[in-house]
Amino acid sequence: MARNDLPNRNLSQHDVSRRGFLGSAALAGAASFAANMRVLDALQTPTLAAELKRQQKSVILLWLAGGASQLETWDPKPGRITGGPFRAISTDIPSVQISELLPKMAQRMKTTAIIRSLNTRNGDHGGGTILMETGRAKEAAVDYPDLGALIARELGRADSQVPDYVSLYSETEGRHKGGAGFLGARYAPMFLSDSMIPPNIRRLDSISETDHTDRAAFQRLLAKQFQDRHPRSVVSSHGMAYERVRGLMSSETLFDVSQEPQSARDFYGPTQFQEQCLIARRLVEAGVPFVKVARAWWDSHGQNFETHRELCADLDQGMSALLDDLGQRGLLENTLVLTFGEFGRTPQINPSLGRDHFANAWSASLSGCGIKGGAVYGKTDADGHTVVEGEAKAGDLFATIFSAVGIDPTKEYQVGARPIPIVDFGCKAIPEILA
Amino acid sequence: MSADPLKLAIAKTIRLKSIGFCIARLPQTERLFIGGSDFKVYEIDAGLEKPELIEFQGDGHQSYVMGSVVVGQQLITGGYDGQLIWWDLEQRRSVRTLAAHDRWIRKMVVSPDGKRIASVADDMLCKVWDVESGQLIHTLAGHKPETPHHFPSMLYAVAFSPDSQSIVTGDRTGHLVVWDAASGKSLAELEAPVMYTWDPKQRRHSIGGIRSVSFSADGQFVAAGGIGTIGNIDHLDGPSRVEIFNWRTQQRVHEISDPGYKGLVEQIVFPRQGNWFAFAGGDNGGFVSFYDASTGKLVHQLKMPMHVHGFVFNESEDTLYATGHDQVAVVTFKEAIPAPAAIPAEEPKPAS
Repeated sequence: MARNDLPNRNLSQHDVSRRGFLGSAALAGAASFAANMRVLDALQTPTLAAELKRQQKSVILLWLAGGASQLETWDPKPGRITGGPFRAISTDIPSVQISELLPKMAQRMKTTAIIRSLNTRNGDHGGGTILMETGRAKEAAVDYPDLGALIARELGRADSQVPDYVSLYSETEGRHKGGAGFLGARYAPMFLSDSMIPPNIRRLDSISETDHTDRAAFQRLLAKQFQDRHPRSVVSSHGMAYERVRGLMSSETLFDVSQEPQSARDFYGPTQFQEQCLIARRLVEAGVPFVKVARAWWDSHGQNFETHRELCADLDQGMSALLDDLGQRGLLENTLVLTFGEFGRTPQINPSLGRDHFANAWSASLSGCGIKGGAVYGKTDADGHTVVEGEAKAGDLFATIFSAVGIDPTKEYQVGARPIPIVDFGCKAIPEILA
Repeated sequence: MSADPLKLAIAKTIRLKSIGFCIARLPQTERLFIGGSDFKVYEIDAGLEKPELIEFQGDGHQSYVMGSVVVGQQLITGGYDGQLIWWDLEQRRSVRTLAAHDRWIRKMVVSPDGKRIASVADDMLCKVWDVESGQLIHTLAGHKPETPHHFPSMLYAVAFSPDSQSIVTGDRTGHLVVWDAASGKSLAELEAPVMYTWDPKQRRHSIGGIRSVSFSADGQFVAAGGIGTIGNIDHLDGPSRVEIFNWRTQQRVHEISDPGYKGLVEQIVFPRQGNWFAFAGGDNGGFVSFYDASTGKLVHQLKMPMHVHGFVFNESEDTLYATGHDQVAVVTFKEAIPAPAAIPAEEPKPAS
């Protein structure tokens, strides 16, 4: 199958590039950089260069809410009594087969790795969601941040004017906001539920653009004078908060797919999820380090095969378009695209031809940044009931994600007197799927 | 009436090792042919005290077997692998394999005159085949490939009229088409939209569709079966539903919605005699229901031991043989029968 090819695009018409979007902020920062030779010297060091590189990376999580079936996606069992009716099809990696419900992704496995051996043990929607959002079980004494907040904390730029963490989660079943936990509200998601365009960021009609600009300039002047007299971090932070608000106010267009030419919208497809994938690309391109696109609702207790026939078609189109678009824009090498949800689904098929909750042997996919494309890690038994090779926990998945985007998975945060490791105790990255 | 549905009772159940999706019967016998989720075709003689599963041999299906019909001494089956397979009943071996559809075959039926079969698949085509030669006679195209919400549609149901002159097909969105079997032209289009539930907000996908169709014995009416509107589409949590149309006037004459027995109506059969019709299906459980064809009122119904995917009557139309989730059940309605005991089938044996 041919790859998706983006139609000719007039970049100047619609692109809000990372460089362009951050340009004003970067220019403003450049003056202070230039004035500080210590910073310039430091730029020559490998450590800081690596840090800057790391900070250009992004993660897009396609959250398959409700629990997609691993047998109808990444770990098919054709011909087995648990396997369902769908075939396994060959991919662009000769040794790898996936479900025929993902024909476009089958031609994009060179950029994608699969973990087929997740054993997360929690088959409850609520508990499984928290586990797979934070990488560890809920603990009464600690409010753990979710993956988006951790990525925002680690990859977000202090001078960024765009949100660090955007969660597109329309009003579907299983809607869960997640949160920044002990990292604080600075890393909480911009949570878009009712509308795909953030509410309350639009300039009031009663204030003209000129008034708005003048007020901002006046505020900056007063703030700078105050900061010069009181050079403390809290004052600086206050000023940065204003800058971020201005950034957010000007970022409304990022969420508006009508800014894209029709050909680009057609390329992604007409469904809400497919449009959200397009928004995710726009956000990442503008410098947002973490975007979650939640696609609900895979909870197919009845009619599993019909449900997956629909939802896999949606996922296959949206995800393949996203990978192609990121690739053609040169963004895929710095953008990690993930698919997983709170758990998988039972190998057994119930009398309603459904599959129920199952967390003992299921799959996730990782594409792009830092990933060894075509790699498959772990193995389940012939019928998919148990992991027989390479068992992986939620924390192992998180450590792998962090490693892929250059975050040290052994890092610890100090929360009060307690050091909290960024991934759960005993969990490690899976080197077999890392580039 | 040739039988009394008020005397409905389960006479026998036979355990399968897979989900039975389709069933056919050799006339004048209780030799049943079951296709199912293990991609295999079996024969079971329900008349025996200890029925055995006998597996057919040869080039078989590569996916779920969704349709089976007996024509003379041949069995013809269709499956999700897109294949139609002809089997010799005495040898219990495949004798012809035909790549019939590009997508999953959902159902196939034989015309009452035994000359043609019709298959429907997710390529949204109904194809009419010559039974004898296996030649394609018509390709009936008229069902849309996508639902109104941009998802792939599915073409589930097909039936011939009693005179073999017409064909009716029904799809995911509740759209029905009646076709002229000779010319392949569309004769009428009917709509049963309640059978398609689209959840625009909480789950953002659909469920349902027309899963069964049948003509009445006089050919004047078309019945479509499925499920009514569902609140939580994670489950088959909606009333079983049948709509009956005078297809020539395109008027709906009966609407049957049964919240007492939830789930999909997987098959509808009008008997050759008697002013009633039967349908069966289920959710996690199953049912068979008999309705008065004139009034659309319930005559009698029975909870089945499994979700029923298909059933056939005997010649006297006082016994039906049903298959479904892991079981075959024999249901009689000629006289009251004591509560049944499940009879486990013996291990499948290869055809001799």
